[in-house]
Order: sequence, then C-alpha cells, then structure tokens
Amino acid sequence: MIQADFTVNTNSQIISFQITGHADSGPYGSDIVCAAVSAVSIGTINSLQKLAGFEPEVEADNLNGGLLTCQIPATVSGQALATAQILLQNLQLTLEDITQQYGQYIQVQTKRK
Amino acid sequence: MLQMNLQFFSHHKGGGSTTNGRNSAGRRLGSKRADGQTVTAGSILYRQRGTKIHPGENVGRGGDDTLFALIEGVVRFERLGKNKKKVSVYAAEAK
Repeated sequence: MIQADFTVNTNSQIISFQITGHADSGPYGSDIVCAAVSAVSIGTINSLQKLAGFEPEVEADNLNGGLLTCQIPATVSGQALATAQILLQNLQLTLEDITQQYGQYIQVQTKRK
Repeated sequence: MLQMNLQFFSHHKGGGSTTNGRNSAGRRLGSKRADGQTVTAGSILYRQRGTKIHPGENVGRGGDDTLFALIEGVVRFERLGKNKKKVSVYAAEAK
C-alpha cells in the first residue's frame, strides 16, 4: 500500500509531501499503480525544477524505492511559489483520482502544519 | 533532476520474496577410521545419526550415536545379521 501525505501551511499552500510504500498491484514490471504514482510524483519534482525554477529539498531511496519526500524551501515566494502550488496541487488531485479506482493500493492524506 | 523510474513504488525485481535460502553447514558424518586400522582407546570410529552402524566388540556408543573404541586394538567392520553392520575393535594380539 502506498501512503501519500501532503502538508499544508496556514495559507493552505502545500509545503511538502511524502510518498512511501509499495503498491503491490501486480508483479514487478507490471505494477500499473506503482508506475502511475512514480510518473506523476517524479514528474512533479522534475517540473518544480524546470518550471518553477528552484531546487526542492528531495529525499529519494533510489536503492530500495518506496520513499520519496519533497520539501519547498521557505525562501521560495512570488511567481515561483505560485507555479509550485499549481504543480503540487495537480499532483495531489491526480493521486486522489487514482485512489478512486485503486483505493486498495494507495491512500492520500493532507495534514495542516 | 530525478530519473523517471516507473518501478519506483514497486517491490524489488521478482516481486515477492521467498522464505527459503537457508542452509546449515555439513555435519562431516561417516567413518573416521578404516577397517584394519590400529586405534587407541577412546578413538572415534564412526559419526552418525541413528545407528547406521551398530557398536560391536569393545565399541561404545555416545549420546549422539557416535561409535568409539573402548580398548586399544584393530578396527573391524563386520556384518550384523542379515542386513546390518557393526564395528568392533579387537586387541592387537587377538587377531
């Protein structure tokens, strides 16, 4: 089961997310839920760098997989923060959409800091 | 930039894990002295589990079924009944 946790600040802006676990919706190489979550989460992090123009603080367990954390630096503001919020909210909505059909493989939670 | 690994949230290659993969070291059982060999008292003759070979003359059986010489002498592997074997130790001058 994949667990996706988003943390929002008092302005309801997403400031970090953490995705842990393994989908186990199919054998290695055919795990479609894993592939979907991997694509949108890694894609979001890469887009934060390319489109929002800053380096998020990222921790990824590339050896074992199953752990990806991303933190927006406190120094980010203005247009960069606005672009980041669009990307992060898009990730959150996409993961929530996935849980509609594959709820037994992924859960999404939002916590207020 | 992160590498786009679509298996990032998938279990390792091969999917599940097995509960096998354990093995114990060999116990080095079997004969420790040859037929006709001269041994001293207390020498271990045969390591075994159960009694593949039974104790004969002047041979004792340990707690783990190990056979050992009770006297100094010559080792003899012999038949025991129709389909069993035994090991005996005969005093050197006796044979």
